[in-house]
Amino acid sequence: MYRKNKVGVLGIVITIVILILVVVFSHGEKNTSFFEKFANKLVMPFQNGLTYLKNKVNGNDTFFSDINKLKVENEELKKQNSKLEQSLRELENIKTENETLKEYLELNKKYGEYKTVPAYIINKDISNYYKTIVINVGAKDGIKEKMTVIADKGLVGHVISVTDNTAKVQTIVDTSSAVSALMSTNKDSIVCKGVLGENKELKGMYIATDANVLQGDSVVTSGLGGIYPKGIHVGTVKSVSSPKNITDRYVSIETAVDFSKLDTVLVINNKE
Amino acid sequence: MKKFLINCILILLVFICYFLQSNLFSWFNIAGISPNLFVILIVFIGLFGNRYMGAIYGIVVGFFIDYIFRSKVGISAIALGIVGVSARIFDKNFSKDSRITIMMIVGILTAIFEIISYFIGAIIFSFDVQVWQFIKILLIEVVFNVLLVVILYPLMTKFGYYIENEYKGSRILTRYF
Repeated sequence: MYRKNKVGVLGIVITIVILILVVVFSHGEKNTSFFEKFANKLVMPFQNGLTYLKNKVNGNDTFFSDINKLKVENEELKKQNSKLEQSLRELENIKTENETLKEYLELNKKYGEYKTVPAYIINKDISNYYKTIVINVGAKDGIKEKMTVIADKGLVGHVISVTDNTAKVQTIVDTSSAVSALMSTNKDSIVCKGVLGENKELKGMYIATDANVLQGDSVVTSGLGGIYPKGIHVGTVKSVSSPKNITDRYVSIETAVDFSKLDTVLVINNKE
Repeated sequence: MKKFLINCILILLVFICYFLQSNLFSWFNIAGISPNLFVILIVFIGLFGNRYMGAIYGIVVGFFIDYIFRSKVGISAIALGIVGVSARIFDKNFSKDSRITIMMIVGILTAIFEIISYFIGAIIFSFDVQVWQFIKILLIEVVFNVLLVVILYPLMTKFGYYIENEYKGSRILTRYF
């Protein structure tokens, strides 16, 4: 009985370790630095000790004779360093502030013609197959169904249902979403659909057979369909497929908005 | 009174699952794919609760998810209801004493839940079914759920048999003898 329990606990511990490792490794480069740091912390004290010994053996006498001079110099440098760090922090603050103001200015210029309501994303769909979000504005703020939702870089989606204080938004990366769009260079129309499991990619379908599709071309909403206003940036053409049958041709579009990092949006209040 | 307390704890578990699912597992995921705690919970209730508990909790929790996230209400409710009923059928035919059995039941019912909700969604919203991507996500999700069951199994059986004794009482033995 005791043995069975022990094995059970060991099994659970091993599963937890495996699960954590799988999650950590599945996030790729983000965690490389963690392991790097860990390895460095593990090795560096020994490495420093060994280097010190090596220097001593090599007859590095100046280190001991100049030690007082170096101490004074070190103090001065530390003071200088702290001053520089302070001014660097101030500069970074100014830079961030400047960037935010620029973004707002550009956003206002871009979408100045629309009356917008700012909102925060308060929840994201828990399913792996649907990509709806919930925002913190609702009927009390004048939000209605089918209103367009945008972010600083481009189109996010549209409102599908509203409560008093919240609204559900179907994003353009949801598989059940379809956005009528135009490729900005030659004005060929396409329909952009969400790709399952992708947060930054759309599939542009129903391309006219005579259409000239360019890689890197900007894709904007066409205004058809009655939901999205014309001219909102959707994304850029990442790649063009070339199947045997030209009617099956489609393009991969990289969305302007990174949906995995999205936290603030604007709802276009065009129903007033 | 005890039954009332059990139901209060189960409702609390629904909310715990919801907060874990929308907060912890939004970053603790495998290649962007999170597990489905609600399926584990409904399977648990279906296996250890009385005849109707799995189905009722499945439908109610499904409606809860649909109301929060979906534009059309009912897809998750139907799928989780079926999971609850299926868990009851599994309970009749398999022993819950084996960890492997529970893992397999959760794996199978996670797949059934996702297949039902995805294909009903495809019919209702008329989107293109992307079979390969769907299978890829489904496999990772099933593995994730099964791994969670390995961890949660002792808790599940401990609380589960308490619920079973309360709801089924002496009737448990009649099934085996």
